Amino acid sequence: MKQLKTIDCIKRWRHFTGTSRRYSCTQLVKMNALVALCHFCELHGPRTLFCTEAVHPPSPSPSQSGPGIPGDRDREADREGEGLTMRANSSATQRADMCEGCRSLPASHPGFVSVDSETGIRYLSHQHPRQPQLFSVVRQACVRSLSCEVCPGREGPIFFGDEQHGFVFSHTFFIKDNLARGFQRWYSIVVVAMDRIYLINSWPFLLRHLRLTIQSLQNTALKVFDSEQCVCPQRAVRMNSAFSPAVFPHQRSGNAARSLTSLTQHPNLWASLHSSFSWLLKACGSRLTEKLLEGAPTEDTLVLIERQTEQEEEMSGWDGAEGGGSNPQPSQSESVQVKDFQFDDGRQEDLLGPKFKSLRHLRQVLGASDFRQLAWHVLMGNQVIWRGADPGLIQSAFNVLKALLPVGCVRAVLYSPHYEEAYRCNFLGLSPDVPIPAHVSSSEFSMLVDVLNVERGCVNPISDDDILSLYQFNISSANTQPTDKGPTLLNKIEVALSNENLSVEVVSLCLLCLKEEWMNKVKVLFKFSKVDGRGKEDTQKVLALLGATGPGEEDNVRLLKFWMTGLSKLYKSHLMTAVRGGERTLSQ
Amino acid sequence: MPTLLQKLFSKRAVGSGSARDCSTAAEQCWASAEFDLAQIRLIVYQDCERRGRQVLFDSKAIHKLDTSEPTADETKTPPTRSGACHIGSQASEKDKPPTYQYTRPASDVNMLGEMMFGSVSMSYKGSTLKIHHIRSPPQLMVSKVFSTRFGSSTSGSTNTLQDSFESMSQAFPSHASSIGVCRVPSAPLLCLARSASFFAGLCGMLKPREHVLISHAHAHSNPVDMPSRGHSEDGDSGIARSASLSSLLATPLPSPGSSFSSGCASSYQRRWLRSQATSLQHGPMPRWNTEEMFSLSDESCSSNPATIRRKKIAISIIISLPEREEENHNFQEFFFSHFPLFESHMNKLKTAIERAMILCRRIAESSQRVQVYLCRVMEALGEFRMTVWNLYMAPRISEPVWLSMTSQSTERNLLCQRFLKEMSVLMDHGAKSQFLSALLTAVLTHHLAWVPTVMPSSLPPIKSACQKPASQTVDLLAKSHPYNPLWAQLGDLYGALGSPVRVCRTVVLGRRRELVQRVLYILSYFIRCSDLQEHVQPQGQMKNPDNPANPCSSQTTDPTPEKTLPPKPDPLKHTACVIEKALNPESVPGTSVEQNNETLLTDTKSTNPSSSLESSAVRPECTEMAQECFGEDTDSVGGGLEHILANQSPLLHRVQFHIGSPRETENEGQAGGLSGAGCGLDRKLHQRLLTDIQRNESSDSALGDSDEETSQRELYMATEQKEYELPLPSYQVESRASVNHFGRSLLGGYCPQYMPDFALHGISSDLRLKQCLMSDLEHTVLHPALDEPVAEALCIVADTDRLSVQVVTSQRRVCEGGRLGRDVMVSNLVHTLITSVRQLYALNIASDFCVMHLEDRLQELYFKSRSLAEYLRGQTRVHVKELGLALGIESSDIPLLAAVASTHSPYVAQILL
Repeated sequence: MKQLKTIDCIKRWRHFTGTSRRYSCTQLVKMNALVALCHFCELHGPRTLFCTEAVHPPSPSPSQSGPGIPGDRDREADREGEGLTMRANSSATQRADMCEGCRSLPASHPGFVSVDSETGIRYLSHQHPRQPQLFSVVRQACVRSLSCEVCPGREGPIFFGDEQHGFVFSHTFFIKDNLARGFQRWYSIVVVAMDRIYLINSWPFLLRHLRLTIQSLQNTALKVFDSEQCVCPQRAVRMNSAFSPAVFPHQRSGNAARSLTSLTQHPNLWASLHSSFSWLLKACGSRLTEKLLEGAPTEDTLVLIERQTEQEEEMSGWDGAEGGGSNPQPSQSESVQVKDFQFDDGRQEDLLGPKFKSLRHLRQVLGASDFRQLAWHVLMGNQVIWRGADPGLIQSAFNVLKALLPVGCVRAVLYSPHYEEAYRCNFLGLSPDVPIPAHVSSSEFSMLVDVLNVERGCVNPISDDDILSLYQFNISSANTQPTDKGPTLLNKIEVALSNENLSVEVVSLCLLCLKEEWMNKVKVLFKFSKVDGRGKEDTQKVLALLGATGPGEEDNVRLLKFWMTGLSKLYKSHLMTAVRGGERTLSQ
Repeated sequence: MPTLLQKLFSKRAVGSGSARDCSTAAEQCWASAEFDLAQIRLIVYQDCERRGRQVLFDSKAIHKLDTSEPTADETKTPPTRSGACHIGSQASEKDKPPTYQYTRPASDVNMLGEMMFGSVSMSYKGSTLKIHHIRSPPQLMVSKVFSTRFGSSTSGSTNTLQDSFESMSQAFPSHASSIGVCRVPSAPLLCLARSASFFAGLCGMLKPREHVLISHAHAHSNPVDMPSRGHSEDGDSGIARSASLSSLLATPLPSPGSSFSSGCASSYQRRWLRSQATSLQHGPMPRWNTEEMFSLSDESCSSNPATIRRKKIAISIIISLPEREEENHNFQEFFFSHFPLFESHMNKLKTAIERAMILCRRIAESSQRVQVYLCRVMEALGEFRMTVWNLYMAPRISEPVWLSMTSQSTERNLLCQRFLKEMSVLMDHGAKSQFLSALLTAVLTHHLAWVPTVMPSSLPPIKSACQKPASQTVDLLAKSHPYNPLWAQLGDLYGALGSPVRVCRTVVLGRRRELVQRVLYILSYFIRCSDLQEHVQPQGQMKNPDNPANPCSSQTTDPTPEKTLPPKPDPLKHTACVIEKALNPESVPGTSVEQNNETLLTDTKSTNPSSSLESSAVRPECTEMAQECFGEDTDSVGGGLEHILANQSPLLHRVQFHIGSPRETENEGQAGGLSGAGCGLDRKLHQRLLTDIQRNESSDSALGDSDEETSQRELYMATEQKEYELPLPSYQVESRASVNHFGRSLLGGYCPQYMPDFALHGISSDLRLKQCLMSDLEHTVLHPALDEPVAEALCIVADTDRLSVQVVTSQRRVCEGGRLGRDVMVSNLVHTLITSVRQLYALNIASDFCVMHLEDRLQELYFKSRSLAEYLRGQTRVHVKELGLALGIESSDIPLLAAVASTHSPYVAQILL
């Protein structure tokens, strides 16, 4: 349950960061290998007796991400040309030219199936492969293994194949038959695949296990042979009877060609072979596995997961307290808003009216100087208060501004009827009449944006884009520090924002890069100062190597310190505990 | 015969050694046993419709006659184990080149010819690959059979060569005894032929009389058309098939990345595409390089297609296997897991033989013609033997850093410490020249497999924040859509992740062994690949009679008298239960049996043949029944099974083949996202059953249904649902670190000589490198071991003596002053990256934190590459200044970031070209 929710959370997060990757189910059924038992019939030549295929579940395929969910139309289109139906009355012609020796399952037998529940792969066994395009492949493999390819001693493994006909690992062998010419019949087991290399790589494995299968069949048949010989020694019979090679096979009418079931006296032979072959395909496919590492999740991902988990725990706590009550009400206004803010951008679309679309848009509306001040306060971790009558507009402002910060540094109260303290939120939306406490308005660690309606008397707004025609923004702060020097991150963002050549997407990726870059510096500083507790001198060295010194150094350091609060708990606790074990001693 | 040197090296490269070893000493040999060059035999055979079969070459029939060492058979002299198989040194000292005696081909050639061509020759005109195992004496034979292609002007083909052979054998019927010496002035060949010591002076003097090529008239056979795709009728089935059908089935594969821009999944995607490309679903679908032929003319003229099929040439390599069981096993494991490399070298050999044949045809005098031919082929065989020997015997990095960190998490701290220590030493060594920065720039640009390892995972970490999670997506993919992990690994090592596909190797050159080994060690962190695990049955399990591979396991050998089954299971009841379960897995079986039973009874009783299609949709998936039927009392239940079979037979007279993809998925497949496909499928099956039953309830009207109205889904069900379900045998597996994989074998150590296969290795002299590199790179593009088309092959050459790094490319560009390649521009991002790691380490920060930081910084490179890709999307011109100001990307970083970007945004390469 929790796992599912976490994944859900990630999905939402992906959407939020624009990195979503969707797995759509394409309508593909795949087989990467099949196994078949073939027989060289005295009357009919090489024949396929029994074939086990692996049918794969529809595959997750990487597909283009984009807004919205692909409609049914898309999938309909995918399928066009694939939905080909062919019918054939196969059994009739087939039976005409068949004897007992050429047959495994009776024509009426539906075949066998085994399902691998873990992967959904279905292993199907029939006399012939079900997919017509594989029919000729198997037929080809059968004919080649029993009448074309030469194996010294006639029993043993061969690999052969080409790109047109597929590739085959074949193992030929004899089965004792009291009634057959030379007292034995010739069989082969073929493994067919298109992946030449894979099949060759699997040679030792296949050989090892097919030998077991073959020996088992041979031994069983040998016992039957021996017992039959006791009852009726054929050699003597044949010596005594008038023998004509031309009619020989037909002389033994009725038993002209015996089935493998009869040769082994194994009534469930085909079911057992199905199991053996299915197992072989599965074991061969999973013989080698890869351990492939991905990058560690970003801090943003970790924080989102942690918050989601916390919320779930809170929710389940309420559930327990209220006996599974339906609607948990307490402090809903706040928590739900916070949640929406973090996870769901879609909600704000419900609110009508003008909105900020991007940082660049915000910058254009506020002007470069006011924007700089605002962004500076955001990055330093100061409380940014927006006060105005339009919650939609304020939310959209926070929405674009929060992109400046790591997720872990964002604590927002979107729209509140009263002031909230700075430790609770660094983004605060207020309705126009809410007073700001004096200690806040006089603090250099906060800034206020008042959104004032421009009196125009006009009912219809000209357009949503034209925010300035509707509102006026007054920015105020008690801060006396210069905001034009640093931090370095802000300087770089401003370059990107002011360059109209760069699309909004480029700017946001650029911002992502910068944030990750600075987050990595934050990690180092955290490790250095909080975990290892190094002195000032060393810390200065680290700041220098991180490129945080120089112009705007003071702002850089403030930013790093603020961002440290946004590190995930997991990361912090990991560094605090695990890493200590591996510390080098100073002598090293 | 263990040599002294052999004893000096430990047996196995893998599984021994620990992180504490000094890098300089920790190089080990791969092979457990000596490998003899004479173990490799070459046979070239021709099968001609008109003339039958002829041996065109058999290395076993060639013996060296050397006046100075008359008895020595050079191929029997194994190269010293410490070094690679050497080229050169001794050959030049000898005044008298050896001479060769060609005796009658060995007695087994007839049989071998049969095996190569088969008793019935094929009409297929592409190349065919075969591998035979010969039991006694134990040998492996790899053959490639080619159709021949001649230029129009010389349609005589190999005839001239053959004629020479034949005229000689006629002229000297007492061939075997007549041993003479022939002298060929072959100075150019001489210098080329100074290969291995065994080969010294091979191409000196040859006597034509010894060359006997026996024509095997009896082996002549007529080509037989095999049943193949596109024929209208198939042998014993009567299934109508048509060429148009085949072409429809062969729906084109999605081109790599064409519709994929998210940038998270290059490695996932590569594997998925591979699974697609090698799928049997479309039937055989020639992927590439299928028209490989044996060229008998240097002009690429088209010729009469009728003549093409007449002649085939087979090239066979026969490897004698070691006598000892364990050595035999080890070599075979190595051979089969490394087959793509063997094959690539065989292709090279084939090209050399082609050239030899073409070349010798220009020579008028027939004895000389044969001599030139033999010299050339022997030379090529020498190369092949040496390459194979090197591949098997060369020293390896015993503890590649990245793989060791992946597989041994307990040793992680020690590994990190050692890695950083070595890196610091190296950085200090080449500080002025930015040697390491340049080298890492090149390595990160071309060995791109590091990129997926830093792409942020979006899944919660399982263990701790710093431990990279194993990719669950890839894991799931591997289970449901098998691709070859060895193939994936090879691509990783060669860095074949970008678009277009490029493959790269790195060679570290230098006289100072320790220094070269240090560089190799450090690079083994950056040249990455997945680690492989092998899951096999435990040895004891193999002999267990209950082994799933044994179909006659609990089957009794002496037939026991039939027991009477207590209550005979009613198959219908069982099926009903199963269906009921499927419909409502949580309810108690039996509650709604009646209702379902009704459905089913209607179904089976149905006498209307045309409704059989519909009714067959609800075939039982009767696990329980199957278990009862195939449990312990297999014998006695046989009758029960027959009974069931008989009951269902009416349904099967009409078989429906359905190709393609019926609608099957709702969006539910996505609901789980990355979570298992298995449960999704189960759910789907249940839903499908439900749908079918609902349909069946109203299926009385199905009689009049036209084909069009019969939904594809139903057809799909009809074929999917009816088989008897048996449980998949469970089996016990032992998981162990795989030994024979490329991650362990292609990261070479300090070798005496350049070798073409290794993703990374060190050499002391660039003599052979200079000789071979360009042709190796060209060969790689033509015959990539990777089994997929390659656009460019590259080699990074890092010279630790001169502290220079160059990149050599198969796309030959003129380089000044006879230099191999172009110098690498140091990426500023890479330089600052390693500098800051170095500084952190110097500040005495825990080394595993430093490594984490290194990974974080590599991840920054990935993010930057995404910015660059996005920037380039809408751009026709790249403003470098803009990149620098806004994205922090300098011109020196662009090649690196563009290469990284091409792994997730294939369009980047096109824009930057």
